[in-house]
Amino acid sequence: MADWKLKRNMLRAMALLLLLCGILALNVIYISVFKAEEVSENPLNQRTAALQREIVRGKIVTADGQVLAETATDGVRTYPWGEAAASVTGYKGENIGGAGLEAHRNLELMGMSKDFSRLGPISQLLQADKGNDLVTTIDSRAQEAAYEALSGSRGAAVVLDAKTGAILAMVSTPAYDPNVVEADWQSLKEAEESPLLNRAVQGLYPPGSTIKPLTAAAALGEGVTDEKELFKCTGRLELEDGSSIGEYQDEVHGQVHLEEALAESCNVTFGSLGLRLGSKRLGKYFEDFGFSQEIGGEILMASSHLPKFDTLGQGDLAQTAIGQASLLVTPLHMALMASALANGGTAMRPYLVQKVISPKGITLENNRPEKWRNCLDTRLATVIDGYMEQVVQHGTGTVAAVKGIRVTGKTGTAENASGADHAWFIGSAQLPDRTIAFAIIVENGGSGGRAAAPIARQIIESMAR
Amino acid sequence: MERSAVQGERSIGFARAGSFLLMPLGILLAGLGVLCLKGYAIGAAGKVLEPAVLPYLLVCLAEALILQFLLWRKKYDFILLPLVLMLCSVGLVEIARLKPELMVPQLRWLCVAQAVLLILLRFWKQIREMLSYPYLLGLTCVVVLGLPMLFGTEIGGSRNWLVFGPFSLQPSEFGKILILFFLAAYLSDHRHVLSLPSMRLGPLCLPPMRFIAPLVCIWGAAVLMFVVERDLGSALLFFGMAVLMTYMATGSKTYVFLALLFISLAAGVSYLAFGHVRVRFDIWLNPWQDPNGMAYQVVQSLFSFGTGGVWGTGFGFGRPDFIPEVHTDFIYAAIGEEWGLIGSLSVLLCYVLLALRGISIALQCEEDRELMLAAGCSMLLLLQAFVIIAGVTKFMPLTGITLPFVSYGGSSLVSGFMELGLLLALSQGTQERGTSRG
Repeated sequence: MADWKLKRNMLRAMALLLLLCGILALNVIYISVFKAEEVSENPLNQRTAALQREIVRGKIVTADGQVLAETATDGVRTYPWGEAAASVTGYKGENIGGAGLEAHRNLELMGMSKDFSRLGPISQLLQADKGNDLVTTIDSRAQEAAYEALSGSRGAAVVLDAKTGAILAMVSTPAYDPNVVEADWQSLKEAEESPLLNRAVQGLYPPGSTIKPLTAAAALGEGVTDEKELFKCTGRLELEDGSSIGEYQDEVHGQVHLEEALAESCNVTFGSLGLRLGSKRLGKYFEDFGFSQEIGGEILMASSHLPKFDTLGQGDLAQTAIGQASLLVTPLHMALMASALANGGTAMRPYLVQKVISPKGITLENNRPEKWRNCLDTRLATVIDGYMEQVVQHGTGTVAAVKGIRVTGKTGTAENASGADHAWFIGSAQLPDRTIAFAIIVENGGSGGRAAAPIARQIIESMAR
Repeated sequence: MERSAVQGERSIGFARAGSFLLMPLGILLAGLGVLCLKGYAIGAAGKVLEPAVLPYLLVCLAEALILQFLLWRKKYDFILLPLVLMLCSVGLVEIARLKPELMVPQLRWLCVAQAVLLILLRFWKQIREMLSYPYLLGLTCVVVLGLPMLFGTEIGGSRNWLVFGPFSLQPSEFGKILILFFLAAYLSDHRHVLSLPSMRLGPLCLPPMRFIAPLVCIWGAAVLMFVVERDLGSALLFFGMAVLMTYMATGSKTYVFLALLFISLAAGVSYLAFGHVRVRFDIWLNPWQDPNGMAYQVVQSLFSFGTGGVWGTGFGFGRPDFIPEVHTDFIYAAIGEEWGLIGSLSVLLCYVLLALRGISIALQCEEDRELMLAAGCSMLLLLQAFVIIAGVTKFMPLTGITLPFVSYGGSSLVSGFMELGLLLALSQGTQERGTSRG
């Protein structure tokens, strides 16, 4: 028999090799389990793109069945609505990334679902050669009206169903045409007016007077005023730090109740209410309305920019109460605020996709309305809602009035660094079958009552027909 | 006393020995079946499996059956062959999936390899005599390895091919086996001298120079191959085997230390002096720097493993074709992508089992040199699998060698079967004792 030393050495050498193989096995496990997702989602991985070429992407349709995006038999993706629904459909290209539903619902459109994509051979059974269709919550009438009204100017409009949070229209202008976005990529990317930015959810603007319903709610809720108090507007509010707040076009409102102050958008009243509240209590209401929140997924709403309430000086406090200073909000945030006021103080979580339907007609996903947050107690919300009705009936927002429909609103004319004032209009309308809430902004459009309120009326009329 | 126990029991039945062949057969039939069905579904069944494949396939199956019968009858080990055939089946199925046009050549090579195995077993007594001429073995080895330096052709970036008309051979694949013979013969003859320290060099104890000289020659030849033929993988294998076997023979860590010193010096010098070495090393350190250029293969391979995940994409449903040379060096990445972690670890496990079985054969060898040879064969197979798997998973810098039995390639397949043949030949007779113990 061979020498025992030889055997011992051999076993030691083998043990070393086995140890190496063990470490190697751990490495294989590491790259195919723990690093797998990161690596396979690398944009250089051509596999996803190759798979996409083989699969006929699903359609994107509006709630009333109009096609927003579909793939022809030759594999070309077309967007019949072009620019009008660009902020809803978004785009997706191999070299340009993606946006909107095309990017955020890519897996569903390709007929895959995240849960199945790593199930190995089983996933092949579940993989169709045709993708799923997305039924959005978009109301084609509202979308069309909003786009028609905004095209030609820079701005954004969001329309929500106040009771459910369904997004009925989302428009951002100037828009891009998803049909040719890949071809025009370079010029779109460099364009000064940034057409690729979805202003409705990513644009940050000073809200101006449209924030006053929040200030009014805070003032009533914190008991710093009541509905009967008479405010005296002399046309200018002098502040301790030497600055002052004036009225739009130097108006003087005289003796006003809170309701009239909102209807006339009295800066003096709301500026002084802000001072009475103090930054802490005012800040709490911004928090309650969710202005510091983002929304992820297919909507991708940016968080608003709030001033630092702990270190707010007198001047900035009064300015914040009338929607100026460093306060910047997204149009969707304003629409959510309007929806909360029209829905008894509760904001519903906004959603864009109603259903995901497989090629065989099976509903794979059916979204139910879900509460986003309690912004305000119901009694207070009803009071503010009533004030906002007065804005449309007798105040600055009369242009938005539609016969036979209860419309509430608030105008805004926001001063900003980029030039002429931004025109805002937010509010709600009680249609026969639903209550809608909306926010509209026209960049540098001037007076909210003249430039933005008519757009709200057009949207409401389109849906009331 | 053990022998009497076995005599009463009578050897194991062929039904059981033959049933081990069902594993590789199952993989082969299932894999080809899936490919045929998939081809039929897209209306190109003929393309997937050419009719010319069938006769070769039948010959291979018949050879395998005859071999297994002989192994059982003549009391060889009969676990090794099914294990190797399992790896071959995985390889055949992957080649049929990745490069259907190479299916016929690969089957032809498998026929040849199995025939070589049969011949090797038949003439083992004569071949064994080679162990008595270590210096002649060493010389032949150097000549064989030197051939491509003189007459070599460059294929795939390595100048290590000999082309004879329609055939091309990789001499390093066969040089591997010669080196095993040389090391086994030389080291077992001189192991006592080699482990006697005669020179002291600080903490190191060195034996007389003339005994280390042949070893240094082998190390030198490996480095030379590395530099001149750009065959990093084979160089690493040769070197690794030399170190492992020297350690086995002498039990002296001095050699291991010296060897590591030597290789790190050589690596350092070649990193500084040769561009292709530097590139290899840099893309290993950071493949994401140049993912579409030099590091393309490795990056694509990592995508394969990432996409495959635990369960894989399913056989025939992945896209391993994005990796260049996926059917040879990178076949393990294709397995990882389509068969997932389950498949890739199973393949690795096959090599480990193969090596363990080989070691258990070595333990029962009567002579030192046979033990060394059996252990060397087992470790060589495992080491080769380790080096290439580590390369494609970015565990080590990539070196272009084949995955034994799985990758496409005639030289690799034949030399793999030669190593298997050595192990089998050395297992003859030990089977009885082995089973009675197990």
